Amino acid sequence: MNGTSQPIGATRRSTEFQLVFMAAMITATAYTLASLGKNSVIPPRILPFLAVLLLVLMSAHIGVRWLARGADSTLLPVAVLLNGLGYVMIARLSERLAGLQTTWTFIGVACFIAVLFLVQRVNDLARYTWTFFFFGAGLLLLPMVPGVGFSSGGARIWVSVGPINFQPGEFAKLALALFFAGYLSENRDLISAGTWKVGRLNLPDPRHLLPLLTAWGFSVVVMVGQKDLGSSLLFFTLFIVMVWVATEKTSFLVIGLALFVAGATAAYFMFDHVQTRFAIWLDPWSRYEAKGFQIAQAMYALGSGGVSGTGLGLGDPTRIPEAKNDFIFAAIGEEMGLFGATAILVAFLLLIGAGLRTAMRAHRPFEKLLAVGLTTILGIQAFIIIGGVIRVVPLTGITLPFVSYGGSSLVANYILLALLIRVSDSSARGLSEVPNTATSGERFAVRRAIRKSKRHPDNQDDQS
Amino acid sequence: MNTRIRHLALVMIILYVILFVQLNVIQVGRKNTLDSDTRNTRQTVRDYNDPRGDIRTKDGVIIATSIRNESGSEFAWQRTYPKGDLYSAITGYFTFAYGATQLEKTQNDILAGRTVEQQIKGIGSLFNGQNTTGSVQTTLDSRIQQAAKDALGKREGSVVVIEPSTGAIKAMWSYPTYDPNLVAVQDDELAGDVLRYLDSMPGKPLLANAYQERYMPGSTFKVITTAGALDAGLINTESFWEDESEFLPPQTNDPIQNYANKVCGGDLAEVFRRSCNTPFARTAIALGPQKMVDITKGFGIGEVIPFDLPRAVSSQFGDVDYFKENLPLLGIGGFGQGNTQMVPLHMAMVAASIANNGIMMKPYVVAATYDHGGTVLRRTTPTVWKTPMSSATSALLTELMIGVVNEGTAKCCMSLANGIQAAAKTGTAQLNAAGEPQSSHAWMIAFAPAQAPRYAIVVMLKGTTAEISAGTGGTLAGPIAKKVLDIALTR
Repeated sequence: MNGTSQPIGATRRSTEFQLVFMAAMITATAYTLASLGKNSVIPPRILPFLAVLLLVLMSAHIGVRWLARGADSTLLPVAVLLNGLGYVMIARLSERLAGLQTTWTFIGVACFIAVLFLVQRVNDLARYTWTFFFFGAGLLLLPMVPGVGFSSGGARIWVSVGPINFQPGEFAKLALALFFAGYLSENRDLISAGTWKVGRLNLPDPRHLLPLLTAWGFSVVVMVGQKDLGSSLLFFTLFIVMVWVATEKTSFLVIGLALFVAGATAAYFMFDHVQTRFAIWLDPWSRYEAKGFQIAQAMYALGSGGVSGTGLGLGDPTRIPEAKNDFIFAAIGEEMGLFGATAILVAFLLLIGAGLRTAMRAHRPFEKLLAVGLTTILGIQAFIIIGGVIRVVPLTGITLPFVSYGGSSLVANYILLALLIRVSDSSARGLSEVPNTATSGERFAVRRAIRKSKRHPDNQDDQS
Repeated sequence: MNTRIRHLALVMIILYVILFVQLNVIQVGRKNTLDSDTRNTRQTVRDYNDPRGDIRTKDGVIIATSIRNESGSEFAWQRTYPKGDLYSAITGYFTFAYGATQLEKTQNDILAGRTVEQQIKGIGSLFNGQNTTGSVQTTLDSRIQQAAKDALGKREGSVVVIEPSTGAIKAMWSYPTYDPNLVAVQDDELAGDVLRYLDSMPGKPLLANAYQERYMPGSTFKVITTAGALDAGLINTESFWEDESEFLPPQTNDPIQNYANKVCGGDLAEVFRRSCNTPFARTAIALGPQKMVDITKGFGIGEVIPFDLPRAVSSQFGDVDYFKENLPLLGIGGFGQGNTQMVPLHMAMVAASIANNGIMMKPYVVAATYDHGGTVLRRTTPTVWKTPMSSATSALLTELMIGVVNEGTAKCCMSLANGIQAAAKTGTAQLNAAGEPQSSHAWMIAFAPAQAPRYAIVVMLKGTTAEISAGTGGTLAGPIAKKVLDIALTR
């Protein structure tokens, strides 16, 4: 480390502080503008709002400073900016939901700090590969359990336990990414070796392929059993991308695409709602009175926004069904225009860039694959829903990470962010950009061991 | 694995570039298509929920404005027309379900604050919550407009007053008309019922007959025939027509008669002020179909009047080939009968062109548009539409029209207050065939002061009642023109 310049960790954290502060200011300004646009009044509680906003965001920042000070400095600011802009749009659509979203944000940030605290070494997670598998599988299947799961809006993706309703799929995607990362980092050589000869093809040993095929099977189950096309597509893409990156074999990509085409074709002929989705993707206008209405309204909203948007609070996004949720991108495009919508796209690209940079810098396969998996979830989920709203791909309902209304989604994505930041911090330690000091957990363990062996605690700063 | 991660990054970038391109296609490329989709009610709802600027007369009287509704109403603003029906033909109405008409339609972007200039200037106002609506100042003079309404009373017809040197409309009143406040209501069904009722009424109150209808002009048309013949050198002040009560044109056995079968003749000044018919029939036929049609085209007849209000119609005279086969109709067309049809506004423009040295200006009602801060966005520059006659001819026609006022068919009724000299031409368009009950439109075109004209006017009374049909342009339309001009010229 260069003694004269500032330590890298400190530089990153001060950059992060400035960026988080800017995100808070942008959010507060947008919130004020939306209120001015809608009711022509400055929000009466703007100062308390700003205070709470800064408090929450700065807690997250201090959490990173304390627990992951070598981590990338853009991940947290971009995520909280997306969260903030989403909040402004939700508050503009419904004050009641804004109150709830505030609660979800509190819980999300609390979980973010908690995960940073609990998971201080990434590789600790590799030990729980199969736990994550069963945990993820259980979560995925939970909505199909009678009495617990229930349908809403056509998809059976909800679980009700006592007073709490949540979408387990949002958490399942994290568990699956952790499982894939763990399993593939262990077995990637065996899988790519191709010891099973079928004619001229060298296929991996079925024994190693089986867990992957099981995981793929889950995405089919999700699609068939829960009618949740978006999540199914997300799981499947996650699976293909991680296998492809892990094995470095393009044949998996080809096989994956073939499986996807086969699955999609079969789904098209088997399920009416898939045919409908496809039909309204091609032509929402002739089905305007029925299923095409939502897409058509999104098109009108985006069109009326134009380049500069109608202005926050000055548009008419309440006309778009589910504007707070899956279609929040159309609402943003209406009121903030092409500029605002592009800003959202750029924000996701920044997240993807930071995530994949983290993956490149990581040196252990597990960390690399985990970063790839988590980044793929963010990037592909945003692409699936934005692309669905603007008719690049058929619409498959799924939330826009950090932006859409929803507790499960927001909390799950903050946990995802914490894991990504943890990997990033770990790489920084590995590259000696920050001192690889013992974590508080390790210090605690060491202290306990020392106490047990009744020795003096001289060496507690030993590298572990 | 890093190579694969780089490839993954590339794939992600491509995916997001695709999103960005599609976003541009929708928000920029297809914006207009989407905005104008009939099922897309966003723009209308927004217009209806947003404040909207005022429309004013030249002298500052507000004739259309928006007032805030009580909270809890379906829409935040209510469009109102403080002067009731007085300006309905200019402002039109602004409704949610039935669109907008007249200035509410053509100046919509200005009033709603949606022009590019207003949007750019309005960027600053995002922060102080002010609206960006613009306002429209018309050329109308509230005194003259009120005078026109009062003078015409409950008779069907129109009064149009133009400033000859610019083409600015100072007053434009049509009766029957309607009160736009009855249409611009929040209840769509009620608005629809009112519109359907108005549409079914006789006299078509929704149409401004001053510029959206055309009528047989009668003898007022003689100024056009005379102007053309003077310019062509066919007649001059020395020309003389023998006394006669009727004239038998070629191709027929049915003679053309003077009004009320009177014996009529004399020099140009005399036949013009007495409004003999046969001399003008002879003149039109002598000019021939081609020349006569060219003359009317020189006045813009056959073209839609280039007005800044929507759906103006065109005046009509006829085409050359038809007149070649029907010379008698060319003859009676020469004094404004037969198939000749003139828009009242157009007749006012004809009078104005005589008053303006033979130059016909484009008529307009929008004087200027302003942004929210009161800065001018656009000011209408008077422009020439036609030059139908030479300056010398217009001077001579002025003399002939003064003769009409002082010794001719308008002698009864056009002596203006304070001794101001008017120049005028009367018209009584006979609608009935021989033997049927009398039915006629009464016309008067005039301008004053004759030597330094400030206003040109047309008064047209539809021949829908026995009272109008029994009278003449001079006795019926004359007093109306005088009242309006007297008020206009006071001060």
